[in-house]
Amino acid sequence: MIEVQDLTKRYAGVTAVDGVSFTVNRGEICGFLGPNGAGKSTTMKILSGFMPATSGEAKVAGHDVFTESEEVRKRIGYMPENNPLYPDMRVTEYLGYRAALKGVPRTKRKARIDEVLQLCGLGDVSRRIIGQLSKGYKQRVGLADSLVHDPDLLILDEPTIGLDPNQIRQVRHLIKDLGKRHTILISTHILPEVEMTCNRVIIINKGKIVASDTPENLTKMLEGGGTVRAEIRGDRPSVERALRGLPGVKDVAIEPANDDFLRATIYAPPRSDVRVRVFEAAAANRWTLRELSRVRQTLEDVFAFITMKEAPVKEEEGK
Amino acid sequence: MCCNLFTLWRRELAAYFLSPIAYLVLLSFLVLNAVSFLLMVNFMDGRTTDASVMQSFFNTFFYWVAMLFVVPVITMKLFAEEKRMGTLETLMTAPVSDASVVRSKFLGAITFFAVMWLPTVAYAWILNYFAKDATPIDWGPVCAAYGGTLLVGLLYISLGLMASSFTHNQIVAAIVGFVLIAVIFFLGFLSRIGPPWVQAFFGYLASVEHVSDFARGQIDLRRVLFYISATAFILFVTQKIVESRKWR
Ligand SMILES: Nc1ncnc2c1ncn2[C@@H]1O[C@H](COP(=O)(O)OP(=O)(O)OP(=O)(O)O)[C@@H](O)[C@H]1O
Ligand SMILES: [Mg+2]
Repeated sequence: MIEVQDLTKRYAGVTAVDGVSFTVNRGEICGFLGPNGAGKSTTMKILSGFMPATSGEAKVAGHDVFTESEEVRKRIGYMPENNPLYPDMRVTEYLGYRAALKGVPRTKRKARIDEVLQLCGLGDVSRRIIGQLSKGYKQRVGLADSLVHDPDLLILDEPTIGLDPNQIRQVRHLIKDLGKRHTILISTHILPEVEMTCNRVIIINKGKIVASDTPENLTKMLEGGGTVRAEIRGDRPSVERALRGLPGVKDVAIEPANDDFLRATIYAPPRSDVRVRVFEAAAANRWTLRELSRVRQTLEDVFAFITMKEAPVKEEEGK
Repeated sequence: MCCNLFTLWRRELAAYFLSPIAYLVLLSFLVLNAVSFLLMVNFMDGRTTDASVMQSFFNTFFYWVAMLFVVPVITMKLFAEEKRMGTLETLMTAPVSDASVVRSKFLGAITFFAVMWLPTVAYAWILNYFAKDATPIDWGPVCAAYGGTLLVGLLYISLGLMASSFTHNQIVAAIVGFVLIAVIFFLGFLSRIGPPWVQAFFGYLASVEHVSDFARGQIDLRRVLFYISATAFILFVTQKIVESRKWR
């Protein structure tokens, strides 16, 4: 659905996107992640035909986004960052205008608008003036607008920003639902959202793609890293010494837990499992062992690992 | 394509009539014109002049104040506001061409401009209704005068639209628009001084003379062509400015 080859965008002095290549297949919900200023919005603006790249090429549904811009725009529902709307219009008026603009035939417009109103939970506010809606409802209007012409591809730039947790959940469900019929490229800073909704994640940093895989594979990549947590009762210096001495262990962090237990986080290289060795060490030293588990890595850890080049990966404490 | 233009044009009109500023402009314009008309009628009452009232109406100080000040206010928001709100992005990523966006904004402003002048048509009728021994109005020159006003309006509005495409600040857009229009307006006065070739050249820009000639019923086709082609050129430049986001 989207094919991007060597895409580069330079603003005066800044290279916002630097030789990016990726593809998104039909039917995928693809999460587009990256720290602030990574070039997500810039890439999306290029894909939506708002501005061309400095070099490289991008195709949507086989049409070049520069030379066949209008063909591409007919197929895309784009919701820009900050969700710009006309505050002076009423919700239905606005959607009617946008539907007409995007070429929804006159006879089908009414039905289509009712459909998206219902889909986005806007039924109650359809007669209200957009400028007077709460932020969350405005966000839904933006989403409804991007859907109104039933596009093949949705490009949503931070659609859940500023929503309350309930609304985020609703929008997440909505996006998941939409993903059954549409291809979606979505950028967001809310990582659990990506983990739950997307079947693929592209992580971009400083204009370059640093990872592109399913969320499962990405977290596995770190999980294979085999960080292990153990809770042990014993003498702290000797526990630390013994754990560090185990083959395959890179680093150990120890902190006191309740009931005289020590919580040890044992870092080991990818695709290894030191749990057996930890258990044997505990048995040999006659320590009491009450927990021994792999630390499940979240996308957040992956994100931090990849974009900050943080090694070894520190997992979040105190969970 | 044509349907897009119509949809966009309707949105432009809606944007005008949904904003209180538009009504303020309409109102002040009407008051200004009414005062101008009243003063003129009083002044001419009982005198013999070689110009008709309607003819003089299109040649007053007030008329030009209105043209010079009202037009930039009409045009200032056209692009500037969309840029400031970010709606230019939703607009330009809908399947519409830059050209139709520029044209629809221009047509919307022209429509508003025409609506603004519409009530003044009543003046001619009022004059006849209340005059003691009314002479029938010569509608020919009156129509020509409105035609001339529209032609000058085309050019000035295109200048204001271009000014609006430079910036996302409406006030800046209004000031730049005013300056551009004023430059054209005052260059026109050079047609009264200097060597003949200078006069001939700037004669093309002399809005004041053009409108008063039109109001006398003199329609010079070359001038009509000048206004239309100058407007087309400025709209073309505006379109290039709007497209310039693509190569910056
Ligand atoms: N109009 C512009 N002119 C100059 N530089 C720009 C412009 N827009 C963006 N940039 C720069 O391009 C880079 C990428 O910006 P972009 O908006 O694509 O980031 P982003 O990934 O969307 O970030 P965020 O998560 O904050 O939304 C940044 O360094 C930014 O400063
Ligand atoms: Mg962004």
